[in-house]
Amino acid sequence: MLASLNKYRHAFLVGLQSNIVYRWNFAVRGFFSLFHLAVVFVLWGAAFAGSKDIGGYDLRQTMTYFVVLLVLQFFIGAFNEDYQISEEIRNGLINQFLLKPINYFTYRFSIFSAARLVSGTLIFLPLLVAMPILKDYLTFPTEWWRLALGLPALLLSALVQFSIAYCFGLLSFWFLEIQGFVILSMAVETILGGQVFPLDLMPASIFRLTQYLPFYYQMYFPGAIFTGRLNDPAQIIRGLGIEFCWVLLLLGLGHFLWVRGLRRYTAVGG
Amino acid sequence: MLHYLKIWLATARYSIVRTLMFRGDFFVWSLVELFWMTVNILLISVIYRHTASIAGWSKYEMMLLVGTSMLIQRLLMGFFWSSIFEMGRNVRTGHFDFFLAQPGNVMFMATTRKLDPDGLLNSFLAAGLVIYSARELGLHPGWMDVLLYLFLILCGLAIHYSVLVLSTSAVFWLTSAQGVEGGYFTLTEFSRIPREAFKGVPNILFVWLLPVVVVSNAPARTLLPGFDWRWVLWLFALAVIWLALAVYVFHRGLRRYASASS
Repeated sequence: MLASLNKYRHAFLVGLQSNIVYRWNFAVRGFFSLFHLAVVFVLWGAAFAGSKDIGGYDLRQTMTYFVVLLVLQFFIGAFNEDYQISEEIRNGLINQFLLKPINYFTYRFSIFSAARLVSGTLIFLPLLVAMPILKDYLTFPTEWWRLALGLPALLLSALVQFSIAYCFGLLSFWFLEIQGFVILSMAVETILGGQVFPLDLMPASIFRLTQYLPFYYQMYFPGAIFTGRLNDPAQIIRGLGIEFCWVLLLLGLGHFLWVRGLRRYTAVGG
Repeated sequence: MLHYLKIWLATARYSIVRTLMFRGDFFVWSLVELFWMTVNILLISVIYRHTASIAGWSKYEMMLLVGTSMLIQRLLMGFFWSSIFEMGRNVRTGHFDFFLAQPGNVMFMATTRKLDPDGLLNSFLAAGLVIYSARELGLHPGWMDVLLYLFLILCGLAIHYSVLVLSTSAVFWLTSAQGVEGGYFTLTEFSRIPREAFKGVPNILFVWLLPVVVVSNAPARTLLPGFDWRWVLWLFALAVIWLALAVYVFHRGLRRYASASS
């Protein structure tokens, strides 16, 4: 068991090194995210000028939500894992994994974890630079149970994020080009994951419906726990249950696609 | 001029034939653009469920602004995006040699090589959103207003084109211009916000220094009440300045191009 874990530890360390090479890439991306925060600030600031609260939350609570979502995006979001998997399939690089006692999903997840550790740490640099302005707009709830429930939600969210990217990457067994599907799905995930606006601002019936979709658990769910948009522990525990079911479903789907895809796969190249 | 028109028509014909060969791809990419346009419309709809005005703009005035911003962006995607995006890659790999050997201005050849019919198709939808919003607002613009609107859309397109060429030209110095597209999309987010919403530092940076707000606000204002001729002059001057800057930087960069070994 330990020996088995050891090889993924090495994959994690190699992932860590190769991602540190791209630290400037992540830093630049983080810097551009500050521009996105400026858009949010200007737009929602103007919206709040007309009314003191929107959906029961004031400007500070809304800004806190968007800042937390930005951090989550860099800590648990799937960046280009689908492309990497797709490239490995198209170029025949997965051949090596078929001959070795390595589980491809766990290997890729180890590298994903390393990459997010680097990008998640680096996002704090631009945020620290912006802190003199941001600090007046941040307000967090103080209940400790939020950490106890929010951290498992965060871990499961990372699994949901990665599993969806993994499944899209595996589509390369069937399609030559998956970029269109990925960006199409990104639009849906951006909206239903709560990155464009807090999902609770939608009509109640649609909001209820989104809670049964996996996208809700990609970003909104952990973000809402940490920022006080979800306040009922019982409701959060129920959400954790649904999230866990989605993780199992997506892991199952990923395994199914891998097994079926390998039947179609032709190893090309030396 | 006629020579360039003939070249452009030939590349347009090639792009359309290519699209017809990959119909599934065309369908998926048209959907991609449609979905991203829907994201912006949904954002406006959700905010206006909870407030009546953003910086003095009503819901359909905002929709008109968003439609205008998307129209410029879709035209850019349709006419220039793929070519400029590939330019960055070609300079890095050395495939840019191909454009140096072509019978015409290198910048024209490199930035107009491919047309994306999916982007052009969605520009009709963006125009539809503008017309729908104008109808909801009970606007009846005259021919002059419409012509002025189209002229300013062209100026906006020239500015977007110039900004993208400028950013991609960085590849001549840096060898890689990856991530430029992300920066471009982030900056275009500002063009969907009314100019009146910007105060303090954002006002100086995004309204006065960078042309990201005026590019959509000026055309939208030609259809809405409160039109001011100074907007037209301002946008036209910006288009000329940014285009001249893009031409200058591109050609300075071109001097540094040293191809790549195979």
